[in-house]
Amino acid sequence: MSTIVIGLSMGMLLFLLAAGLTLIFGMLRVINFAHGSLYMLGAYLAFQVVNITGSFWAGLIAAPIIAAIVGALMERIALRPVYNRDHVYQLLLTFGFILVIDEAVRIIWGLEYKQMYPPELFSGAIEMFGSSVPSYRLFIIGFGAAVSAGLFFMLDRSRYGMIIRAASGDPEMVRTLGINVSLVRTGVFSFGAGLAALGGAVAGPLFPIELGMGFNIIIDSFIVVIIGGLGNIRGAVLAALLIGMTRALGYSYAPSWVDFLTFILLIGTLILRPEGLFSRKGRTA
Amino acid sequence: MNAQRLMALVVAIIISVPLMFPDGQNVGLVNAILIWSIFAIGFDLVFGVAGMLSFGHAAFFGVGAYTLSLLTMRMGWDFIPALGAAGLVGGALALVFSYFAIRVSGLFFALLTLALSQLIYIMAGTKLRMLTGGVDGIAGVPRPDLFGIDFYNDSNYYFFLLTLFVLALLISGLIRISPLGQALKAIKSNEVRAEQIGFNVQRLQRSVFTISGIYAGVSGGLLASLIFYVGPQMLHWKTSGDVVIMVLLGGMGTLFGPILGVAIFEIMREWLSTQTSHWYGILGLIFIISTIAMPKGIAGMIIQLWNRIMPGSKP
Repeated sequence: MSTIVIGLSMGMLLFLLAAGLTLIFGMLRVINFAHGSLYMLGAYLAFQVVNITGSFWAGLIAAPIIAAIVGALMERIALRPVYNRDHVYQLLLTFGFILVIDEAVRIIWGLEYKQMYPPELFSGAIEMFGSSVPSYRLFIIGFGAAVSAGLFFMLDRSRYGMIIRAASGDPEMVRTLGINVSLVRTGVFSFGAGLAALGGAVAGPLFPIELGMGFNIIIDSFIVVIIGGLGNIRGAVLAALLIGMTRALGYSYAPSWVDFLTFILLIGTLILRPEGLFSRKGRTA
Repeated sequence: MNAQRLMALVVAIIISVPLMFPDGQNVGLVNAILIWSIFAIGFDLVFGVAGMLSFGHAAFFGVGAYTLSLLTMRMGWDFIPALGAAGLVGGALALVFSYFAIRVSGLFFALLTLALSQLIYIMAGTKLRMLTGGVDGIAGVPRPDLFGIDFYNDSNYYFFLLTLFVLALLISGLIRISPLGQALKAIKSNEVRAEQIGFNVQRLQRSVFTISGIYAGVSGGLLASLIFYVGPQMLHWKTSGDVVIMVLLGGMGTLFGPILGVAIFEIMREWLSTQTSHWYGILGLIFIISTIAMPKGIAGMIIQLWNRIMPGSKP
């Protein structure tokens, strides 16, 4: 039972990152290498806000907002000038941002591990089906499910979602219809950055907050978006749960093979279905 | 004289510093530049000539370093055959990678090579700990023992490295003007067209990726011998990132550009790291600015300036 809870919570966490990655890719055709750094930045920001205000919830709200501003600046200053070039340049720019963000975090917070604690409300454990489960994990599952439901609602039902879907399909046409596409791009990138930081803030009480945390999770998120199909957010949900469960099962039965299992999933997908396991034609977001 | 020759001259000046100032102060830096240049020249065959962005070259570099170290230290091989083996193992691993990675193109290629090299990194740190020494790495990697020359003296080792560097540069220059190089340029500019003309695109890409892996393996082995040490951080994705930065900074797709990029990177590392411990972040900023402002790197800038100063000279 606890394996399932760990797997689901891990999957939800991965989904928060992968959703941002895949939205950004769908809209901008950019693979954001710096996504892991934004996740790490989110965790540090949450840690800082919690330290100042003493409230976990303040951190959970503030971290994504600050990271979204950072994301908007990244897009405006660096990515916008190179949209007309080969996509490789955009990827390289986001790689440059890894170095800059990591350094900034090192300057501000130093090298020591930071520790965050779950909020009062979810600090205990709950008895479920004969095994005890940390209630914070359950919170992550619920929170992740709520965020993804909200995300789907926004993408499928709201006017903004319609614009995003249309603009990732045919930006020229959307521009002709009088919508400021470059603003939409900034918005999507910034939103994705905010999601990554939200993931970081949620993960704060689970893992030690450290400089390497971004890279450890970014590879998993890449695997999720590739397995789910780049730009396919529905695929990302399933793939995130798949990877989360694989990790959790792996940790309890064969801990030293966990990384191999996920990589084998990835390589298998790329060989058999490079467009992703859950891809459907004609869907971008 | 044209811009190409100007760059060759600059490169020649940089690498001959130890000859002009034989007091041994700069020789360590130039040695590092020579070794990283071999890596960068080989990487640019894939990145600049064939247009494939690989984020996994650290794997070939690091595996070359481990191969050389293990063969010389555990198996008692001589340095030269072990260095050859380092190149072969690097190339073989690149060939294996290419069978997976060339199925996809563009950004997927970058991601897949990154994932594969990360797999090697994880393996070296955990599963192969008996062989690789885990996170501690292996210290005491030897240098060659040839003609009774003391290569443990950096000034002497410089000549050994210079020889290999010139060899690597020559081979790369030949590949660029060879039919293989021409075909790769055709693939880079339009893959579909190249395929329709009748090129076996995948086989050509596989070949150049393998060649590039050999370059990486040799340079990895050399770096291990230069610093007497090999550790898993040579396999880390940051090493792949470093070589990408070097090549892009210097100018991708040109013969001398990557070397200029390496020189600037290494001089900055040497100089900035004495000034501030945050040099890697500054490097990131410089990389971002230069990627936006000069996509063709320093080489592109030199060519542009040269054409402005000397209108009418051939590019």
